[in-house]
Amino acid sequence: MSTKGTRIPDRLMITFAGITPAPSQEKGQDLFPTGNWRAIRPVYRDKLPPCNNACGTNEKIQGYLDLVKRGKYLDAYALIKEDMPFPSVTGRVCYHPCEQACNRGQYDEAISIRAVERFLGDLGQALARDVVKAGVLNGKKIAVVGSGPAGHSAAYQLARLGYKVTILEKSPKAGGLNRGGIPDWVLPQHVLDREIERLVEMGVTIKTNVEVGKDVNWDDLKKNYDACVLAVGLIEPNSARAEGEDKEGVHFGLPFLRDIGMGTSKVKLGARVAVIGGGNTAIDCAREALRQGAVEVTMITVESKPDEMPCVSEDLHDMLEEGVELLHGRAMTAVLGNGRVEALHLHPARFSGAINASPININREAAPERFAVDNVIIAVGQRASLGWLPDEFKNERGTVKIDKFGRLGDTNFFAAGDVVQLGTGQPLMVVNAVGDGKRVAFNLDKVLRGEPLQPRSVPVDVIFDLNRMNMTYFPHFPRVQQAMLPSASRRRTQEEVIQAFSEEQAVEEASRCFSCGTCNACDNCYLVCPEPCIVRPERSNGMYKILVNYCKGCRVCIEECPTGCLEGVPELDFDTGVTRMDTAFAVTPGLHGRQAEQLRHLADQPAKDI
Amino acid sequence: MSYTELTVWTRGIIMDKEGRDIVNSISAAARLEGKFAQAMENYVDNPDRTNAPTRKYCRVSDGVIENALTYENDHPNIVVLVEETMVKGWDYMRGMPSGGTLVINTHYTPEYMIRFVPGPERLAQLVCVDAAHLADHKWLYYRLAELGLDRLSTEGAAERNKAIAPDIAAPLIAAVVKTTGIVKVETIEPMIANKKAFQMALDELHIMPLNPVAA
Repeated sequence: MSTKGTRIPDRLMITFAGITPAPSQEKGQDLFPTGNWRAIRPVYRDKLPPCNNACGTNEKIQGYLDLVKRGKYLDAYALIKEDMPFPSVTGRVCYHPCEQACNRGQYDEAISIRAVERFLGDLGQALARDVVKAGVLNGKKIAVVGSGPAGHSAAYQLARLGYKVTILEKSPKAGGLNRGGIPDWVLPQHVLDREIERLVEMGVTIKTNVEVGKDVNWDDLKKNYDACVLAVGLIEPNSARAEGEDKEGVHFGLPFLRDIGMGTSKVKLGARVAVIGGGNTAIDCAREALRQGAVEVTMITVESKPDEMPCVSEDLHDMLEEGVELLHGRAMTAVLGNGRVEALHLHPARFSGAINASPININREAAPERFAVDNVIIAVGQRASLGWLPDEFKNERGTVKIDKFGRLGDTNFFAAGDVVQLGTGQPLMVVNAVGDGKRVAFNLDKVLRGEPLQPRSVPVDVIFDLNRMNMTYFPHFPRVQQAMLPSASRRRTQEEVIQAFSEEQAVEEASRCFSCGTCNACDNCYLVCPEPCIVRPERSNGMYKILVNYCKGCRVCIEECPTGCLEGVPELDFDTGVTRMDTAFAVTPGLHGRQAEQLRHLADQPAKDI
Repeated sequence: MSYTELTVWTRGIIMDKEGRDIVNSISAAARLEGKFAQAMENYVDNPDRTNAPTRKYCRVSDGVIENALTYENDHPNIVVLVEETMVKGWDYMRGMPSGGTLVINTHYTPEYMIRFVPGPERLAQLVCVDAAHLADHKWLYYRLAELGLDRLSTEGAAERNKAIAPDIAAPLIAAVVKTTGIVKVETIEPMIANKKAFQMALDELHIMPLNPVAA
């Protein structure tokens, strides 16, 4: 029976106050937005992970580990190349400050970030064409003096920005400290050659055998180029201030390694070799000495125990495994011998103060200790050779005087790398030089475009720490170890000591990442929300949205977020996005209110057709 | 003849008793003063849901209140928000005649809170009182946003029910009584359990005068 045409009195059609559609009815839920039950609002806010902060060049480590985990190796390689021109090099040589800072280190074992970086770097080396392209040329010419880590990084970033870059290198082969300071069994030459090839593919010109101060001078650089980056490094070895250092058989650390690296070495080592110094170069020298034919290598350090040595502890461990002896608390005061070194005089000594160029207290009252050797390698640091630099840009540390942006006064000259970092307290490591070169390149770009320079600052409060994450979601899981050559066999070979990760190992290691403070699209918030108020356009893409009209502020998503990127922000801190809840309760004044008025006037209204 | 309506907005279960204490004690004090008063709770709001917005009503009049069967205040002169985030989202100002008073339990200043108030032109004063701080009630209500929401429901309520306004209701009652004069302070003070918080609140109100009452 149809009700069409039936006249029903209107008073029967008036809805009663407080009676609302059930949530299951069409649009029924629109009447019950429960968002205003909320005292705090969950907000996705990515923080800076500690690894990213600790990295000398601020690689987006969490980002590429996440991409490796998902099998997107090429994307990961492209991400790493934003900050790091040669991941295959740093994947082998870096002293990995990221792994020291890794939050996982406080939980079980730090992520083997360097090994994953090497995996990506090797992947990039195997590509026919690099993923990074040079920018559109803007017609400006820039000289980069030195092709070491800092110069390479600056040239790479400037080429990406569209500058015509020329690298001036004094040695016959480009690579700087990457080639001359790092032995082959850490970084094979062909890896570095390939990275330099990549740089040339980007349009960077490399002029070798050009030494600044000899072949070109300050005025030439000023005249021929729009700007210049000085990344000349520290090339003069420090003396150990001992008598008879000019005797035959005495070598200095960096030239010793550099000549071997460049293939021009004529050094023949005897059976007993002493290495003076306890830094990374000294360790490399000691290990190289074994490979150059020495039988008994002793490292003589001023530090009184191994922990105090200013070196990477892993390398120290590997060195001791290869059979190098340590002799602590001694300083070399004289090299004895008739024209050729035969023995050393050692005195008890104490090291005090900072790593670089600090005084050593030698007890010369004590009787000297005679130490018989065939060769001695002195590796006690380097200094810059800046005879060609105008005096106004030199400082008391013997390095280049720069402002906080790496700029020399008001000139278009910038300096980067070890030549400015010596004595600043920053470790003189490859990755720090790379970061320095990168920042200087960006500052130089701003200067040439006439933009104001901004000091770089990382707000400390956004760096994430372990106790702000939900550890329930992370089972203990051991670190994937990189395979190594057995110590007995590696003593005599130039083969790489540390072996690369396989694809499975890299994925497994990347999966251990906590993703500290940064959303990694784990979908956990989506799953735990008791109301259907976290929505996502597609599975695991991280584009979550919170429907604030329905979020009751129960905090479940915040408590359960494994990475801690969800934050509870007090609702009153938002003065935008206020939801006005128009529930039936809130807007209807009740039967005795407005609707009572309507009832009173009902008789005056015409009847409706339904 | 004066007739005043008071509406308290509170959160279901976790702050139910606070709202009830306010309306009950004020109406009881009014009767002691020889006035006519009513106090009731609203069951339309379904107050047994944790955190749900819930209203409590109170009417005080010099003469007999004829409206005995209506359980809602259509024109509240005084509105109390027991929890600060309630300032957003509901039209608690609906039906308020000009010259009204809004009391909020918050550690924010009235200057900050006024931005959330719908229709502030009807207010004669906005009163903010940090009741949770004054009542020193750390474990349950203090800084709701920081501590997270309490899930204890009405457990323990029987013990707390023995006293009137042992917690954050005391400073809120003080704020209402002092700023509006709905009842006398001397009449209501003996009923309050937390006299210390009540006395402190009398001195520590943040009152923001707005439009003066139309004569």
